[in-house]
Amino acid sequence: MSTETQTGTVDRSIVERLRASPFLSQLVSNRLAVTGLVIIAVVVVVAIYARFTYDLSNLMATQFGTNPSEAAPSIEYPFGTDGQARDIFPRVLYGAWYAVLYGTVTVAASTFLGVGLGIVAAYYGDLTDNVIMRTMDVLLSFPSLLLALALVTIFPEELGLWRAVGALTLVYTPRFARVVRGAALKVLEDEYTDATKALGATDPRLLIRHILPNCLAPITVQSTLNYGLAIIDIAALSFLGFGASPGEPTWGMMLSNGVEFGLFSGAWWWSFFPGLLLALTVLGFNLLGDGMRDALDPRMRETVD
Amino acid sequence: MVSNRFVLKRLLLLFPVLFGVATVVFAILHLSPGDPAVVIAGDRASQEFVEQIRSDLGLDDPLWQQYVRFLGDVATFDFGQSYQVNRGTQVSQILVDRLPITIELALLGQFAGLLFGLPLGILSAVKQDTWTDHLTRVGALSGISVPIYWSGPLLILLFAQFLGILPTSGRIGSEYFIEPATGLILVDTLLAGNVPAFQSAVVHLLLPVVVLGIYQMALLSRMMRSSMVEVIRQDYIRTARAKGQGSKITVMKHGLRNAFIPVITVIGIQFGSLLGGAVLTETVFEINGIGTLLVDAISRSDYPVVQGTVLVFAVLYTLVNLAVDITYSVLDPRIEQ
Repeated sequence: MSTETQTGTVDRSIVERLRASPFLSQLVSNRLAVTGLVIIAVVVVVAIYARFTYDLSNLMATQFGTNPSEAAPSIEYPFGTDGQARDIFPRVLYGAWYAVLYGTVTVAASTFLGVGLGIVAAYYGDLTDNVIMRTMDVLLSFPSLLLALALVTIFPEELGLWRAVGALTLVYTPRFARVVRGAALKVLEDEYTDATKALGATDPRLLIRHILPNCLAPITVQSTLNYGLAIIDIAALSFLGFGASPGEPTWGMMLSNGVEFGLFSGAWWWSFFPGLLLALTVLGFNLLGDGMRDALDPRMRETVD
Repeated sequence: MVSNRFVLKRLLLLFPVLFGVATVVFAILHLSPGDPAVVIAGDRASQEFVEQIRSDLGLDDPLWQQYVRFLGDVATFDFGQSYQVNRGTQVSQILVDRLPITIELALLGQFAGLLFGLPLGILSAVKQDTWTDHLTRVGALSGISVPIYWSGPLLILLFAQFLGILPTSGRIGSEYFIEPATGLILVDTLLAGNVPAFQSAVVHLLLPVVVLGIYQMALLSRMMRSSMVEVIRQDYIRTARAKGQGSKITVMKHGLRNAFIPVITVIGIQFGSLLGGAVLTETVFEINGIGTLLVDAISRSDYPVVQGTVLVFAVLYTLVNLAVDITYSVLDPRIEQ
C-alpha cells in the first residue's frame, strides 16, 4: 500500500517537471520534431507568398495559346503544365495557401468546440456530462472519413471547400472533447481547484483561468496531430469530388484532375507534384506532433486517427 | 476468464449506440438541402408528379412520424429502394452484394499491415534509438502521411503502365466469370476450383492491398514500438533476464504477450481509418465495394443508398470494437473492473 503511494508521487513529480520548462528544450533536441517544424514553417511562408503574389483568377483560367498544354517539367515550367495549359508550379504553391487556411480553420473550430464541450462535461458532471459525452460517443461510432462524406451533403454546394471544413469540424470535435474532458477531470481532483472555489471564483472564471491552462498540453498535441489529418482529409474529400470547384488550385483537386486526365496519358507531373507537397506537409505536422507527444510525456500514447 | 456479465453488459450497451447512430443518419438526410422527390421524378417532371411521389414516400408526414417509421425500417433492415445507382433495387440487396467486396479488401489490408507492421515495431523497440529505429519510425510516419489517392495511382503507373506486370483496376480479369457464393473473390474462385481465375484475382488485388496495407503497417508498427518500449522497461523483464534467460526469449515470451494487449485496442480504433482507406482504395482501383457505392450515391443524391451504406459502415465499426473489447478482456481480465 505505502509503496504504491510512493510511486504515485514520484510519477507525478516527473510529469510535472516535464510539463514545466524542459518541454521546449526536449522538443528542440528531438531532431525529427525540429525537421517537422522546419517543413511547416516553409509551407506557411510559401502559402503566404503565393497568396500575395499570384492572382487567383489568373491561376484558374485556361492558358491555351500562352503556354503549351501538358508540357513536361522544364526550366520554364518547373512542374510542367496541365491539360488546360496552366503552369502547375504557381498552382501548387497556391495550394499551400488553401491547405494552411482550410486546415487551420478546421483545427481551430474543432479545438474550440471540443474544448468547450469537454470542459463543461467534466466540470458539471452528471446529466450534462452524460448528454455531451454520449453524443460524442455516437459521433465516434462512425468511421471518420465516411461520416465526413455524409456530412458534406448537409451544406449547400455553393460553399465549396468550406463544406469539407464544416463536415470535418463536426467529425474531429468529439476527439478533442474526450481528450479535454479526461485532462480536466484530473485537474479538478487537484487541491488548488478547491482552493480557488473556496476563494469565491465563479464557474466561468474557474474554467477559463484555472482549468483550461492546465489542459493545454494534451490539447496542443491533439491539435498538431489533427492538423495533418485535416489537410489530408480535406484533400481526400476534394479527390472524391466533394469540396473544391473545378479549376481551383487545391492539392486535392489538382491530384484528382491529374490522375483522371493526365496520369495514364503520360502527364505524370500533373498529379505528382501536388501529391508530393501534400504528403510533405502532412509529414511535417506528424513529425512535430509526434515529437511534442514524446517531449510532454513519453507514456501519453494517442493514435493519429 | 471473461465473465458472461461483462459480455452481456457490452452487448446491451450496443443498443443505445446503434439507436444514436440511426438518429444521426436520419438527421443528416433530413438536413440535406436536396429533395428526394425531385431526384426520383427528374428535373423536367411536373409539379403534380413531384407532389405525388412526395406523398407516396411519406415525406409530407410530420417529422416524428417519419422518424418512427425510419427506426422501424432500420430495425428490419429495410432501407427502401435505390433511386439512382441501381434504380428500383432494394438497398439491402445491393449492400449484401457489395459488402463482401469491401470486407475482403479491408481484411487483406489489415492482414498485410499486421504481417509487416508488428515485426517492424518490435525490431524498432528492441533496437531503440539506433539507426534501425530511426529509419523505421520515419518510415512509419511517412506511411501515415502519404495519401492513398496519390500512392495508389503512382503504383498503377509504375507497375501497370511502365512495367506492365500488374493490371490497372478491378478485382479479376474480365475474361473470368465467377458465380458469387461468399462474395469474397479469393474464396469464390477457389470454391469454383478455377485456378487461373484465382491467380487473376490475386494479381488484381495485390496493389490495392499494398496501398491499403502500407497505412495500416505504419500505424501498427508505431503502436507496437511504443507498447514494446514500455514493456521492456518493466521489472518482470529484468527479473527474467536476471534469471539468466536470453534476451531473445525474454522479448518473445514475456514482452510480446504483454505488449500486444494495447495493440489489439488500436486495431479496433483504427478499423475506422481502415474503412476510410478502403473507400479511397476502391475509388482509385475501380473496385465495386460499398465505398464506391457510397461516393456514387452521394454525388447522385441517392438518399436510401447513402442511408443504408453509412449505417452499415457504422454498425461494422461498432461491432469490430465490441469484439476487440471482449478480446481485450479475455487477454487482460483486470479490464472488467
